[in-house]
Amino acid sequence: MSMMTIVQAINNALDIKLAEDKTIVVYGEDTGKEGGVFRVTEGLQKKYGVERVFDSPLAESAIVGAGLGMALSGLRPIVELQFDGFTYPAFNQIISNVSRMHNRSRGKYKVPMVIRFPYGGGINALEHHSESPEALYAHIPGIKVVIPSTPHDAKGLLIAAIESNDPVIFMEPKRIYRAIKQEVAEEKYSIPLGKAKVLTEGKDVTVVAFGAMIRECQKAMAMATDAGISVELIDLRTIYPIDKETIATSIKKTGRLVIVAEAPESFGIGGELIAIANEEAFLYLEAPPKRVMGFDTIVPMAKGEPFYMITPERIFYEIERTVNF
Amino acid sequence: MMKYIFNFPDIGEGLEEGTILEWYVKAGQPIKAGQALVNMETDKVVTDIPSPKTGIIVATFGQVGETIRVGSPLVEIEVEGVASEKATITTTEPPKTEAIEEGAAVVGTMELAGNNAALPASDEGSAKSASEDTFAPKALATPLARAMAREFKIDINKVTGTGPSGRVTKEDIQHFQPTNHLEEIIEKRSEVNAQPTDDLTTYEPLTQIRKAIAKNMLNSKQNTAHMTLFEEVEISDLIEIRQKFKQKLADKNIKLTYLPFIVKATVSALKQYAQLNAQMDLENNRMVYKNRYNIAIAIDTPEGLVVPVIKDADKLSIMQIAQKIAQLSDKARDRKLSLDDLKDGTFTITNFGSIGGIFATPVINYPQAGILGIGRIVKKPIVKGDQIQIGNILPLSLSVDHRIVDGGDASRFINRIMDYLSDPVFMLME
Amino acid sequence: MIFNDYNPQEDKILRIIDNEGKIINKELLPDLDDETVIQAYKSMLYARTADEMAVSFQRQGRMYTYPPSMGHEAIHIAGGMIIRNDDWLVPAFRELGFMLAKEVTMKEIFLYYMGYEQGSNFSKANHVLPICIPIASQLLHANGIGFSINYQKKDEVVFGFVGDGGTSEGDFSEALNFAGVWNVPVIFTIQNNQYAISVPVKSQTKSVNLAVKAIAFGIPGIKVDGNDFFAMYVAYKTAFEYARAGKGAVLIEALTYRKSAHTTSDDPTKYRTKEEESEWHKTDPLHRMKKYMENKGIWNENGEVLIEKYKLEIDNQFTEAENFTPYKLDDVFDYMYEDKPDVLKKQKEDYELFQSWKENRK
Repeated sequence: MSMMTIVQAINNALDIKLAEDKTIVVYGEDTGKEGGVFRVTEGLQKKYGVERVFDSPLAESAIVGAGLGMALSGLRPIVELQFDGFTYPAFNQIISNVSRMHNRSRGKYKVPMVIRFPYGGGINALEHHSESPEALYAHIPGIKVVIPSTPHDAKGLLIAAIESNDPVIFMEPKRIYRAIKQEVAEEKYSIPLGKAKVLTEGKDVTVVAFGAMIRECQKAMAMATDAGISVELIDLRTIYPIDKETIATSIKKTGRLVIVAEAPESFGIGGELIAIANEEAFLYLEAPPKRVMGFDTIVPMAKGEPFYMITPERIFYEIERTVNF
Repeated sequence: MMKYIFNFPDIGEGLEEGTILEWYVKAGQPIKAGQALVNMETDKVVTDIPSPKTGIIVATFGQVGETIRVGSPLVEIEVEGVASEKATITTTEPPKTEAIEEGAAVVGTMELAGNNAALPASDEGSAKSASEDTFAPKALATPLARAMAREFKIDINKVTGTGPSGRVTKEDIQHFQPTNHLEEIIEKRSEVNAQPTDDLTTYEPLTQIRKAIAKNMLNSKQNTAHMTLFEEVEISDLIEIRQKFKQKLADKNIKLTYLPFIVKATVSALKQYAQLNAQMDLENNRMVYKNRYNIAIAIDTPEGLVVPVIKDADKLSIMQIAQKIAQLSDKARDRKLSLDDLKDGTFTITNFGSIGGIFATPVINYPQAGILGIGRIVKKPIVKGDQIQIGNILPLSLSVDHRIVDGGDASRFINRIMDYLSDPVFMLME
Repeated sequence: MIFNDYNPQEDKILRIIDNEGKIINKELLPDLDDETVIQAYKSMLYARTADEMAVSFQRQGRMYTYPPSMGHEAIHIAGGMIIRNDDWLVPAFRELGFMLAKEVTMKEIFLYYMGYEQGSNFSKANHVLPICIPIASQLLHANGIGFSINYQKKDEVVFGFVGDGGTSEGDFSEALNFAGVWNVPVIFTIQNNQYAISVPVKSQTKSVNLAVKAIAFGIPGIKVDGNDFFAMYVAYKTAFEYARAGKGAVLIEALTYRKSAHTTSDDPTKYRTKEEESEWHKTDPLHRMKKYMENKGIWNENGEVLIEKYKLEIDNQFTEAENFTPYKLDDVFDYMYEDKPDVLKKQKEDYELFQSWKENRK
């Protein structure tokens, strides 16, 4: 076991897989020599050579498109896009080809590739560096979307993503890249995709979140406990496919649902989870499910960001209102 | 001239402190904005701290080798011609600027884990002990029903649900009276106020149970099409069997009456005539056939009629039915019947024979499809072959909801029961 | 015509003064009077000073991440002298001097990097687009503006910028191709400062240089010493007249060096050596200009004094930015649409309810 941050855990996962599987290559902008702008791939080029861990030219569409080509022809590429706001040039490749190749060829061609990028706000960054596009990607049939919230999960989920033969979008919560440390096993392990995790059991309300928001929810839960409210906290971990069973079981127990996510509220994951609550647990609902999400605006620049980013207080406010409905 | 105190800024490594390595300035020295003041060592990086202002150094704080905390004063500068408020503008909340190495990010300010930011190791995959809490079963209900319950200030979890899967419907809420729960009845009685009496009349406020009974009776009569069949069945063989086992069961402390046999016969007949174990759901345009055989037994108590339910009577032996009846009777007498004891009945048997009646037109326990009334056993002359004999006649009064049960089915149903009661061994055979 | 004389396929580079300010191409030396040259130098010095102060403010924790333009001054000031009020500047994010030449204020620059979008709502600067962070995407905008100019028969020229890294993006090729087909009055400048964060330009492309890419799209391209003010001036002037005459777009590759880190959060020691940096520092544009002026005997001012004067001015601008009206909740919502849709109004109202709840808790 050793103490790792999320950055270190991801680095460790990549290290383990690069050693084990020679068909794996890792590349992106500044990923090779510099080890990535967040140092996630630090040391890997030195260890595995420039043929396997390298810098690509500055072109996200080409990075992903070439990755697809590699995946179709015997390699298992792990490509890095530098920031959430810069994944969009690659969107065409993802929606038009990466997600479709398996279906298009009726399974003759599989796409064992992972597209990883840091996402999320709360770091006082410039425009395009604070986005939370999970809904955009989850809405594309044919790919999976995974978002860890702890170092342990980051390692396990990434290894599972790499070993999966389906294309996986792996979104890394940059706000907490280095903000938390955890004891993580040094040997290889994986966490199944498509399974949410009940982090804390409770009986008054179910709170569903993922990524950097888990930490904010936990702070809100402390406030809720003081107010005598028992919260059941679920970490989604995989956005697509979503673990309906875990969520439904919880709602049937508590009768209330609060969803916390950074992305703009309209047409996002909140709506999806409320639909699930409806479909799976309609008769058990004692209050309308509530989504606590960003405004339908661009993430404001640093001086405005505090209005936008969801705070523990705001989460607690909505928990309280839901419980008192 | 204004004095400006410059505090040691958090230059972005999640720092809490730094060690002074070298002072570049001293008191009395002029300083320009941007000029290096001091060389500081932090966890990972050695860096110069530039002055934010131009002016004269008034004082430096901290010796070489000393460790100072982020936010504590570093230098005091006398700034020329600056308005007072501006001079005291310090970075109120210096954003954590990214360090060269530790917080590498290329853009943005990264939070770095402090010493107490460690999470416990994951318990993934470890078997979790089952939760200690048992969660009280909750009512299933649509939001509409819940809203209604709230409006009427009813706790929806106390309402018996008659909808699909035991759902609490709007009607259930409308018809809800807390008297379904016997304890509540007793409590409420104590709230009843007596009225003054005079020679001609005596007033007594209605008890909850009386109100409930009134409501139920009216409701049943108004919403169903009552039709009653009267039959007589000769039960000498049954009497003999009962006699035979009465003592055996008494030894086990079980009182064996005819009721358990009647329950058994009824259940067997219900299995063959599903109409009698059903309900009509007009709202949804459908028949609701119950797959369980929960026989409700009407019991007369000093407070009034209660109708506890023998659940899954088809799965019980006659002995077990006898036990159950005894249990429920005791509970009824002691006012200990629970909500669960009273709900989910699918067919009712009412025994007024023990009180003395022969025939009656029992009122259906709405929304069930039928109710079987049992009268008093009488000795009567019967014809067997061409001989006149003394027969033991049990009168039966079967009321059915004619919307659900046609005359033919009602006849066939009761005939079946009579077959069983007149020849109990037949019950064993089927 | 310099485009022909400096054929990028032959990897020719347009250079007029050497590293020590000595004239090596007398014919092409532009006919600028001494005052103009001195003013050009001063503008470059101002830009350099502003950059250094910005970095310092960031280190003091008073400003967020900042991308310095140190080393690019000659490109910006040369272009800045050609561009007119109605001509368009379509920047990426490393064109400080050019933005200043177009009358963007330092206060506005500081506001932006302190985290106020208002910094991009330029009070004086005309026809300058806000900083564009998605790499190379702005070049397509430049084309569109060029199209408008043609369509509306205006007398305007567009100056669009991109870095060496940006030439790998699809948008770059699309932009040049459209520009060729549409024959737009757009001057594309590639600031080839050798690095895209940590990736050196030789890893970006196999082409002999970047200017040569223009040929594929049927427009003229020229490689210029970006640290040579006079060369840049000549290149811009030629391109400007070419575009203005309706002949179409031009690609200028300005060869320079990113003297600073990519941003204040980047550590260049991870991917380049001090030796390399020293070599390139010898080509510094300010140094060369100063040497030229000294050689000609026209520089009589005290550089130190000037720098102090600039610092004071820039500090005042920074203080103004620091005292800017605080960000309000409205600012998050007011600029998304022309008319605020109901759903946004409701989100804002809900948040205000939360705010009053928060206040009442205290």
